[in-house]
Amino acid sequence: MPLVPETSALTIQNGSPGFLSTPGRTPTSVTVHPVALFTILDHYLRRTESQDRVIGTLLGTRSDTGEIEVRSAFAVLHSETAEQVAVDMEYHHTMYELHHKVNPKEVIVGWYSTGSNLNTYSALIQNFYSQEIAPHQAVHLALNTGVEEGQQSGVKAYVSSPIGVTPKPENAVFLPIPCELQFKETERSGLDLLSSVSNGSTDAYPATDLDILERSLQSVSDMLDRVLSYVRQVLVGEVKGNAAVGRYLMNTFGASTDELEKGAFNTSLQDTLMVSYLANLVRSQAEVSTRLALATAS
Amino acid sequence: MSAPPSMAAAIAASLPAPQSAPTPAGPTYEAIPASMSKVIDIEADIPLACVQLDGMVVSKIIKHAREAHGTSAHGVLLGLDLDGTLEVSNSFPLPHHINDDDDKSVKGVARYQASMLRSLKEVQADDSVVGFYQAMALGSFYNQTLVETQAIQQEKLRHGGVVIVHDISRTARGNAAFRAFRLTKAFLDAYKRNNFSTESLINHRMTFSSILEEIPIRIRTSPLLGAFLDTLSAPSVSAEPSFAKPSSALPPSFSVLNLGTNNVSKNLEQIIEAMDAYKTEEGNLAYMQRQIAREKGKADAYVAKRKDDNAARIAQGLAPLPEEDVSRLFKIPVEPSRLDSMLLLGRIDAYSKTLEETSSTALVKMYASRGSAVV
Repeated sequence: MPLVPETSALTIQNGSPGFLSTPGRTPTSVTVHPVALFTILDHYLRRTESQDRVIGTLLGTRSDTGEIEVRSAFAVLHSETAEQVAVDMEYHHTMYELHHKVNPKEVIVGWYSTGSNLNTYSALIQNFYSQEIAPHQAVHLALNTGVEEGQQSGVKAYVSSPIGVTPKPENAVFLPIPCELQFKETERSGLDLLSSVSNGSTDAYPATDLDILERSLQSVSDMLDRVLSYVRQVLVGEVKGNAAVGRYLMNTFGASTDELEKGAFNTSLQDTLMVSYLANLVRSQAEVSTRLALATAS
Repeated sequence: MSAPPSMAAAIAASLPAPQSAPTPAGPTYEAIPASMSKVIDIEADIPLACVQLDGMVVSKIIKHAREAHGTSAHGVLLGLDLDGTLEVSNSFPLPHHINDDDDKSVKGVARYQASMLRSLKEVQADDSVVGFYQAMALGSFYNQTLVETQAIQQEKLRHGGVVIVHDISRTARGNAAFRAFRLTKAFLDAYKRNNFSTESLINHRMTFSSILEEIPIRIRTSPLLGAFLDTLSAPSVSAEPSFAKPSSALPPSFSVLNLGTNNVSKNLEQIIEAMDAYKTEEGNLAYMQRQIAREKGKADAYVAKRKDDNAARIAQGLAPLPEEDVSRLFKIPVEPSRLDSMLLLGRIDAYSKTLEETSSTALVKMYASRGSAVV
């Protein structure tokens, strides 16, 4: 709906949700990749004394249904004073070119800033980014590092829409859109590693596969202990049992392993044993072969 | 009695006043002038004991490795070497060049690297290259390009850069694996002389396992990162816990307990391929050796015949024939380099090691899920 200057009513403009991927659609949700988050945090740690918050560009992919996936980010030089804000565009373009060479699929989808206060400068920068990636709209990611007192660390995503009587760039309201963290299964173990390191676990690195398996089995065993104690308490009557929990437990533990015995389970087990033996054999052969090469008299 | 004190006083007075020992000037710290910093390089004397990876680098490498499946992903590591520890604080991926021999693409990569370093410097990121990383699948990182790049790097960088190798298939299995390597001195020596003949191998006692030496890795997360991860994985408190949706953004995963084929067939295929290549290589080597032996035999026979002729002629009193330079008559081919076969053996070993690990964990899981004990 276009703004009509004659009326004095305030209007909020929003892109109408369409079923086709029309270019002017507003993003409906944002999924963030952990790499982007870590990059932003690292940039925040490296900021100079004078900078209160840092900004940068978000790269990612856009889907047809308006979901934006933020895959990575890079920092952009900017300076902010009481009167004006300046963003180094040359730098932004250079970095985007470089990143695009490695990942042709990633395009600019928006920008980020640490610190959740949205002020006039945010609106200006948002307008600038929207112009960069016209006709698509830019997403603004506000990452609160939780460093200051009383502020919870978290990530919020916004899109802007013009508000007000005159279409000036700084008259915009930021509408929050849902934002969540998403990662692929293969990267899951990387995240586990990082969180275990940050928790101060003193397990030796690198851990072998068997160590990881052991830890998983240990945690399953702990969970079983908890469930067992809960069930005992319910039976004795200390705790009122929850019917849903009981049904769930019955379904889970009802599965039997009888059908495993039939079928190809045993043959598969034999195959695995043979593969393991062969692998060891190949390794010792390679070792012998390389020593033989040394022993040849020239 | 006043006599002894006065005598003591007299003796004391006669002694020369004890000289206050000149206090040695406290060590003054002067900054090493920039012109001398290349000569006096204190850091270079401290050998590298361990590599410290930042959390962000870990996730960046994993992401790049996963997205570039098929082609091998490699990139540059940036950081700082400090007090025996190489701290890697940032990394960036390099575009994959299709044709390595193309001059333009090599220059393009160099330009990319320079441009990226400049840009990163402006946002106060570390901009000194300390190594490079390579991601591969199923354990096969012994190849020619890795060795060459590392050799070049080891000459240029101060502590000799490290290669960080990441196995994406191992990460998919649940064990994020990063290993740091560096070329051994023995190998560098042979590589510089470009001499991989049998005797040089014997001299350096080189087997495929002594090409690279491993350096221990430590992973470090900044406190901010740790706090963020904690917030993400902490379960959110809600009144009615539901069973379907996990209550935290980062629920614990048990994917490592899955029974599965674990890429066994692909791994076996690769082992067979590598062994075929090795067999061909060894066949070639044997052929060359036989040729060399044949030529040598001919040359030796010629020399021996000459000697006999000369001896006969001296006996007859004629002038001996000159002993011609044998190398001009018989071309003895150069002994072939055994580097390729060594690298292939290394690959076979690495593949079978991965296979061994996957099958051992699979065995444990299968036995555990069997339930009833069967002899």
